[in-house]
Amino acid sequence: MVIYEADVPGVGKRYEVETGGGERAVVIVHHDGKRELFRRSDADADAEKLFEFTSEQARQVATSLEGTDFQPLDLEDVDVPLGGAVIEWTEVPEESPVVGETLGDVHIGKETGVTVAAIQRGDETIGSPGADTVLEAGDILVAIGSRSDQDALEALLEGGDGEAD
Amino acid sequence: MAEALLLELGVALSVLAVAGSVARYFDQPVIPAYIAAGILVGPHAPTSVATISLQLVSESAVVETAAEVGIVLLLFFLGLEFDVGTLVRNRRRLSAVGGIDLAVNAAVGVALGVAFGFGPIGVLLVTGVVYISSSAIVTKALTDAGWLANPESEVILGTLVVEDLVIAVYLAVVAAVVGGGGTVGSALTTVVQSFVFLTALAGAAHFGTEYVDRVFGTEADELFVLRVVGTTVLVGGAALSVGASEAVAAFFVGTAFHGTDLVHRVESLVVPVRDVFAALFFFAVGLGTDLLVVADVWLLLAVAVVATTAAKLASGYASGRVYGLDERRSARVGLGLVARGEFSLIVATLAATSANPTIRTVVPAFAVGYVIAMSFVGSLSVQYGATLSESFKNWRRGRESL
Repeated sequence: MVIYEADVPGVGKRYEVETGGGERAVVIVHHDGKRELFRRSDADADAEKLFEFTSEQARQVATSLEGTDFQPLDLEDVDVPLGGAVIEWTEVPEESPVVGETLGDVHIGKETGVTVAAIQRGDETIGSPGADTVLEAGDILVAIGSRSDQDALEALLEGGDGEAD
Repeated sequence: MAEALLLELGVALSVLAVAGSVARYFDQPVIPAYIAAGILVGPHAPTSVATISLQLVSESAVVETAAEVGIVLLLFFLGLEFDVGTLVRNRRRLSAVGGIDLAVNAAVGVALGVAFGFGPIGVLLVTGVVYISSSAIVTKALTDAGWLANPESEVILGTLVVEDLVIAVYLAVVAAVVGGGGTVGSALTTVVQSFVFLTALAGAAHFGTEYVDRVFGTEADELFVLRVVGTTVLVGGAALSVGASEAVAAFFVGTAFHGTDLVHRVESLVVPVRDVFAALFFFAVGLGTDLLVVADVWLLLAVAVVATTAAKLASGYASGRVYGLDERRSARVGLGLVARGEFSLIVATLAATSANPTIRTVVPAFAVGYVIAMSFVGSLSVQYGATLSESFKNWRRGRESL
């Protein structure tokens, strides 16, 4: 990635970051601490001012961009302690036998012991899904249960008999 | 006596505060507002309104000295931000755009001076006034219009860097020539003295940079500001006492700070100090301005405004093309450089010290009228620059398709 840096006499510094497709993000840091963020969609376009930040706001935005405050969930190792139980995010695979079935038909609670607290489907989240909620491939089930309950759920979704091994 | 002066200074600062706020409110440059403030409450017309006297502030040594500090600090910052590295890295393109800018605009200046019957020194001064763009107004206008994030700003700011260098040399020469009195012999002595002084100072600034951090770095902000401002004003004063340009001396002090770790601190702490004194400088210019004399040079003013606006537009456009910008952006380079301001007025204050009575009265009056006009023209040409450059492009297209 190329970052162009230049002194702007009497103003401060300018940074330009190529973001692909000829588009550039332009940041101007003023001596008085003010930061301006511009977007230039291509070489011919005029820079369009998106935001003006104080130095305090700029630092917070920068932290968010860095992702140090809030880490996006990694499905592989989400592990939230909840007494003896844990919350896990488990995906319904493409060829899972439960696809097209309702939660009630699958008897998830009875078969595995977990409680499905929510289903994440694309951008939407279905909170406290009812027994008539139909499962779809790619759904992410947010389930509460013990470690072995969670393993049973994973096995059930993958097409096993729902019993933990 | 001191009571009267304190009151005058109070009036001056308050009127400046009001004038600056009004200018800001209407998104207009502050420099003409500060000059107008000086004209309004100064000794010249208007002298009264409805029998209430408006001659509130006299041209006292207090305001004049503050104005001098303003000049010194303006040039100190020019030196501080003067980037030799940029100049060397882009020497080919910058010498091309700087050369075009100087050749076109100085030529128009010389033509104006000659056409209106000025002598050699008068021509030199008029040329200086119309040649140099205003870093303060241009930078502010570019920031407000968001052009700093566009490629044309690189050419505009590059041109300003070259102009800074030219004006430093110009002020050094002209200060010595104008200050040297009538005879060629005394002028020559002053020129030699001033160049010895300035060369020594330039050398000291160059080799002194590595010690600047140690000498000026201090925890206390107050002591830091005192050290920086103290040194700058002291060196400026010393320069003036040997007949050298105090402005150029301050420029070299500024260059010593360039590239040190202190730049950021100077920018955040000393800028307000500079701006207060610079406001007093523009105010003092207004105090010394007699609108009747300005009115006397109306023809010169009118011709100069039209001719030099056209000259900057043309030289800026050519410079943009040298940098490989398209027609629209090249037109904007010209529009961006139209504003004249603080440096034209510094040239005018030099003219005011001339022994020649015509130069002493006419050139400063011309410069004030010119800067008031050109600061607005320049600032508006950036504010409406997007539309203007677009119509320019369409006009070019239209003409080509004929």
